[in-house]
Amino acid sequence: MSELQTEIETKAKTSPGRLARAWDSDLAYSFRNNPVAMVSAFVVSLLILAAIFAPLIAPHDPFNPATLNLMNGFTPPGQANQFTQEYFLLGTDDQGRDVFSTILYGMRISLFVGFAAVMLALVIGVLLGLLAGYLGGWVETIIMRIADIQLTFPAILVAMLIFGIAKGITPPEYRDQMAIWVLILAIGLSDWVQFARVVRGATLVEKNREYVQAARLIGRSPFSIMVRHILPNVLNPVLVIATISLALAIIAEATLSFLGVGAPPTKPSLGTLIRIGQEFMFSGEWWILFFPAVTLLALALSINLLGDWLRDALNPKLR
Amino acid sequence: MRTSLVIATLGVLAAPASAETFRWAGQTDPNTMDPHAGNSAPVLGFLNNVYEGLVRRDRNMAIEPALATEWEPLEDGAGWRFHLREGVTFHDGADFTADDVIFSYERASSAEADTASWFAGVTEVTAPDEYTVEIRTDAPNPIFPDSIANWMMMDRGWAEANNATRPNIEQGSYATLNTNGTGAYRITEREPALRTVLAPFEEWWGDDRGNVTEGIFTPIENSATGVAALLSGEVDMIEPVPVQDAERIDNAEGVDLQRGVEARVMMYGFSQDKDSLVGGDGVEGNPFQDPLVRQAVAHAINVDAIRQTIMRGSAEPTAQLVSAAMRGYSEGLSERPAYDPERARELLAEAGYEDGFSFLLKCPNDRYINDESVCQATVSMLAQVGLDAQLDAIPVRNYWPELRADEYDMYFLGWSPGTFDAEHPFRFLVHTPQENIGTWNFGGYSNPRVDELIPAIQSEIDESARQEMLDEIAGIVQDEMVYVPLYVQPLLWGTAENIELTQREDNFFILRWVTVN
Repeated sequence: MSELQTEIETKAKTSPGRLARAWDSDLAYSFRNNPVAMVSAFVVSLLILAAIFAPLIAPHDPFNPATLNLMNGFTPPGQANQFTQEYFLLGTDDQGRDVFSTILYGMRISLFVGFAAVMLALVIGVLLGLLAGYLGGWVETIIMRIADIQLTFPAILVAMLIFGIAKGITPPEYRDQMAIWVLILAIGLSDWVQFARVVRGATLVEKNREYVQAARLIGRSPFSIMVRHILPNVLNPVLVIATISLALAIIAEATLSFLGVGAPPTKPSLGTLIRIGQEFMFSGEWWILFFPAVTLLALALSINLLGDWLRDALNPKLR
Repeated sequence: MRTSLVIATLGVLAAPASAETFRWAGQTDPNTMDPHAGNSAPVLGFLNNVYEGLVRRDRNMAIEPALATEWEPLEDGAGWRFHLREGVTFHDGADFTADDVIFSYERASSAEADTASWFAGVTEVTAPDEYTVEIRTDAPNPIFPDSIANWMMMDRGWAEANNATRPNIEQGSYATLNTNGTGAYRITEREPALRTVLAPFEEWWGDDRGNVTEGIFTPIENSATGVAALLSGEVDMIEPVPVQDAERIDNAEGVDLQRGVEARVMMYGFSQDKDSLVGGDGVEGNPFQDPLVRQAVAHAINVDAIRQTIMRGSAEPTAQLVSAAMRGYSEGLSERPAYDPERARELLAEAGYEDGFSFLLKCPNDRYINDESVCQATVSMLAQVGLDAQLDAIPVRNYWPELRADEYDMYFLGWSPGTFDAEHPFRFLVHTPQENIGTWNFGGYSNPRVDELIPAIQSEIDESARQEMLDEIAGIVQDEMVYVPLYVQPLLWGTAENIELTQREDNFFILRWVTVN
């Protein structure tokens, strides 16, 4: 019964795409009239642009250890260092790294890992969801039971497990270089279930529609029906989930790095920076923790708000 | 009737007042409870509360009687005779006798043990009677009693009954999780890496014991979490206090900072017996075999900057493997290689590595004070002279196994001489690695002259002749830069203000010296 309801809801969310152009203007209208969405979009684009153009903006290259001077360590924001007399906008950390530059470069890693992990989860989840929904039978049973089993574990635990295994089989001298790819794999693989469940639900509804039956009658192969006909019609909820997943993936990356199993301290992401910073929480060097934490907060919050708006805007019931 | 009621009431009142629970936190959980399976300060320091040796160290690090009441050199040859304390029992009630000493010798000196190097010169241990033990050495060894304070006694019957007659470092044995010593405290609960609970051993022979009736040890890996736990009263003591928080704890209400100088010297070691680098890139062979390269590393590291920033001024730069306070320190060799990146580049060029090379730098991240920060700073200092160090900072429980598996090219090590003598690090870190000597010489440095001098030092009775030989080895170690010594670590503990305790220089925490007021 409740499954039926979910299907109906999902169906409602995935109204046909024939009015695509009209939708666009609806979306644009909703955006123009939603200050929260506008501010969020502004913050997100600002941060993404800052990350992309980090090498042009950042005054220092924090990933090049040869440029660091340990004597610059623990410089407070906006003050001259007591030994070197150098200024740093947001201060420096224990290694003498400029916090502002490190945040810009760290955000690149956080965003890259976030986007790549969501893409991976999306591809796996949509593919398996389509297969399960369209083919049914034992394929569906196997895929959805695996999804159910994985759902009983917290995603971060699954990610840590994958990370642990990957780290175990990587030779130590490549661990630093591999860390980012392992993070993407770990977060991506822990996050595909969401996509698979939603796509399966939507596919179950779509596959009995007339256009699918028609395609079947003219002898289209199942694969072609899935990709050409069903996929475009289930993409709306996928878009919403992808946006919210992006925020979650960035947080997951930060969590893993904070726990010390993610990005290495020589190439820190925002989470690694927060981990480094919290060691100096009690000794008065608040800026090492504060600025990366605020950046992570701004990034995750605005992506989340954007996702919320997108969900409401794409939901015909709420219009 | 009335009297007995009063007594009963007093009894009830007295009982809760005497129950003192003491909670403390350390950065490193002892990785084994087997006193012969781990020759490291976290293990030996912790087990000093549970197990005892023939002799022990007092509050000032001097040797005093423990399970032996007195000892004298053997008249008929090289070695020592120990007279054992009578009436001592193990925690399980078994009597302590000379047979247990022989068993503990066999166990601690076996190839499976991590403590075998302590007995390098010992040829035979015999028991003329139940409470006398004679330990024969191949040459006179004047400092032998000083060197066995951490050789802890285990009951033969208990070990045999539990199939633990030999330590098993890799897989563990019954003795890895369970203990049966003669010490002032016994372990009532052991959850590795979570908590360990100790209770006083009522039958203990000694009387120098504070009022703690329950001791709870919790490892807290993250130093900021440890400080928070102390400030919130969740624990009564933490060690170490991170250097960056020392001032805050010193000034905070309700907590005290205990400050001392530890005997531990921090240094970098190198892979020297391998023909290639694990993390080598752009290089053939193993550059660290060349003393010039090791000297270049020494000149590239700015120890003073590390002291001023990361260690907040509380670390003493050092030029030798022991601090100046140790016996046998070589006064004439106290000058560190100066921080000189230009010189480092020249030395690298001279050795044929003007373009630098990359290698794997291995560090622990939860063992020494700010270990990961120091290693990270080293990476950037080495980068400035063209060396590309790939840093792998890992928890200490994986650290020693990976070093033993040769998964490093350069590594970070802290060494605290258990005997408080300059000979100690030479025996463990510089002597050619063999079954029971040079056991912590991971890099495999080997020098026949050093190997010849070490046994001679052990049996030399004349102080100045001994010092001369120590100076010679210290000179070789410095010239060839076998290790790059950095600084002596500060000793910082934080306690609640109602706690009285003694901070021993070897950073061993002795629970029986704790009084809760």
